[in-house]
Amino acid sequence: MSTPLNVDVEILRLARLVACEPKALAYMREVDPQDIRDLREQVTVVMFDADRQMLQRVASAARLIPTKLAAVIGERAFGPLLCARLTGLLEPSRAVDVAAKLPTPFLTDLAIELDPRRASRVIAEIPPKQIAEITKVLAEREEFVAMGGFVGHLSEAALRAAIAVVDDEALLRTAYVVESKGSLGALVATLPTERLETIIATAAEQDLWIEALDVLGHVSEAQRGQLGDIAAGQDDEVLDSMIRAAQRELLWVDVLPVTSAMSAESRARFASLKSIQTRPVLASIVDAASRHGLWPELLQLLPLLPSAARRRVAALGTGFGRPVLAQIVTAAHARGLWAPLMQFATELERRTKLLIAKLLAASDDDVLDGLLDAVWEERLEPELAQLAALLPKAEMSTFCERLVKRAGEEFIATLREAAQEHELTALAEALAALCDG
Amino acid sequence: MSAKGVRALEAELGGRPPDGLEQLSDAQLRSFTEALHEAKGEQSEALQSAVEQALEIVPRMVRGAARKALFG
Repeated sequence: MSTPLNVDVEILRLARLVACEPKALAYMREVDPQDIRDLREQVTVVMFDADRQMLQRVASAARLIPTKLAAVIGERAFGPLLCARLTGLLEPSRAVDVAAKLPTPFLTDLAIELDPRRASRVIAEIPPKQIAEITKVLAEREEFVAMGGFVGHLSEAALRAAIAVVDDEALLRTAYVVESKGSLGALVATLPTERLETIIATAAEQDLWIEALDVLGHVSEAQRGQLGDIAAGQDDEVLDSMIRAAQRELLWVDVLPVTSAMSAESRARFASLKSIQTRPVLASIVDAASRHGLWPELLQLLPLLPSAARRRVAALGTGFGRPVLAQIVTAAHARGLWAPLMQFATELERRTKLLIAKLLAASDDDVLDGLLDAVWEERLEPELAQLAALLPKAEMSTFCERLVKRAGEEFIATLREAAQEHELTALAEALAALCDG
Repeated sequence: MSAKGVRALEAELGGRPPDGLEQLSDAQLRSFTEALHEAKGEQSEALQSAVEQALEIVPRMVRGAARKALFG
C-alpha cells in the first residue's frame, strides 16, 4: 500500500532549506509532492555545494582544536544552521564528542536544520540519552516533521529512548511524516503491546486515524495484523471512530488490508459492528475494493456480515460488469477465497449471477480445478449448481462435460443431487445424461 | 511558464528542475529562484562571518594554523 506524500510536509521541508516561511511557497501546493521532494533533493545538493570548499576547510580546521573549544565556536560563531551543514563533514566520533558538549536547546535547533541523510553516521552514534533529551524538546515544539526525518537513522537503543519521552499523540503525528516510511516497521517493533494499545486508544480519542492508518499501511503484514487485533480488542466506540474516520476521509483503501491481516476472530468482531453495516459505509467499501483491487479483502469480510448487510453488498454488486467480476473470480482463485465468492454469488441478482457462471464456465483449467477442489472440500455443490443452472443450454452442456472430465464421477453425483434438491431440472438432466451416457 | 523562467532556475540548481514545476507561473518560478539564490548568498555570507568570528575565539597560539587550514 502506498500513501501519497503530504504536500504540506514537503513544502515545509523545502521552505526550511531555502530559509523562508512555508506560506511563501504556498503556490507549490499545486505541484505533485514527489516533484517537490525531488526539487528538495536538488536544492540540498546546491546548498551544500555552494560552500562546500569552505565547509570542508572548517571541518578540517575543527580537528586542530579541542572539542570543548569546537563546541564553543560552533555555538557562538557558526550557529545551528551552519553547524547542521558541517555535521556530516566531520568525523562521526569527533562530531559526537562536540555534540556532547553542546546544550540541548542548541542541538535541537541544529536537529531542525539537519538533513539526517547527510549525517546518518553521526546520528547513529549519538548516545540514546542525548537523543531522548533532544527529542523531548523537539516534541514540545511540535517539530514532528524534523523528528520524522530522524527515524531510520537512529540506533535501536536511541529510537527506544526517543519513543519513551514522547506521548502517543506526538508519536502518531511523527510517524505520519516519517521521511523513510520503510522504517515504520522497525519503529512499531520497538513498542510493547501496552503502548500499542494506548496509541490506538489515542488515535480514537484525538481523531488521529489518518495518522494511525498511514502507519498501518507501511508496516509488515504481521504487524498490521497485530495492530488490527489490538484495535479489534478495543471498545465499540474506538472501532466506530475508526469507521467514521475511514468513511469521512475515504480511508477504506487503508482499512481493508488491516481487516484482512487481523485474526479471523478480530475480523468477525469488526464485521459485527453496526457502523460498518450501513449502506453508505458498505458502498464506500465496495467502491474502495473496486478502485484498488481489494477484492480478496472484501471477500474475507463478506461471510462475516449479517445477511441484511450482505444483501446490501449484493445490491451494490448489481452494477458490476464482466471485467469487475473477472477480477473478483481471479482474486478468489489466487487467494483461495472460493467459498465466500460462491456464497456471495448466490445472493446476487440473476443477471450478475449469470455473468459469474459464464466466467466460471470459461475459466482456465487451473482456475476451474481450484474451484472444484474448494467446492468438494467446503461442500459448495448447492452454490455451484445454482450458478451452473443459469447457463444457456449449450454452455451448460459444455460446462458439464468439463466438470465430468476434471472432477470425476463422485463429484458429479453429488452435484447432481444438489441440482435435484434445488429443483434445477435442466442441470440435473444434463449431468445425468453425461453420467448415464 | 516561460523557457526563460525554467532556464533561470536550471542555472541556480545546476540541473533541470522536476517536470511538475512546469505548472508554476513565471512569477512563482521567479520567486522560488530568487528565494534559492538569496538562501545561497545568505549562507555564504553567514559562513564567511562565522569563520572570522571563530578565528577571534580561537586562542592566539593556534590561530595561525587555523587560518592556514581555512584560507590556505
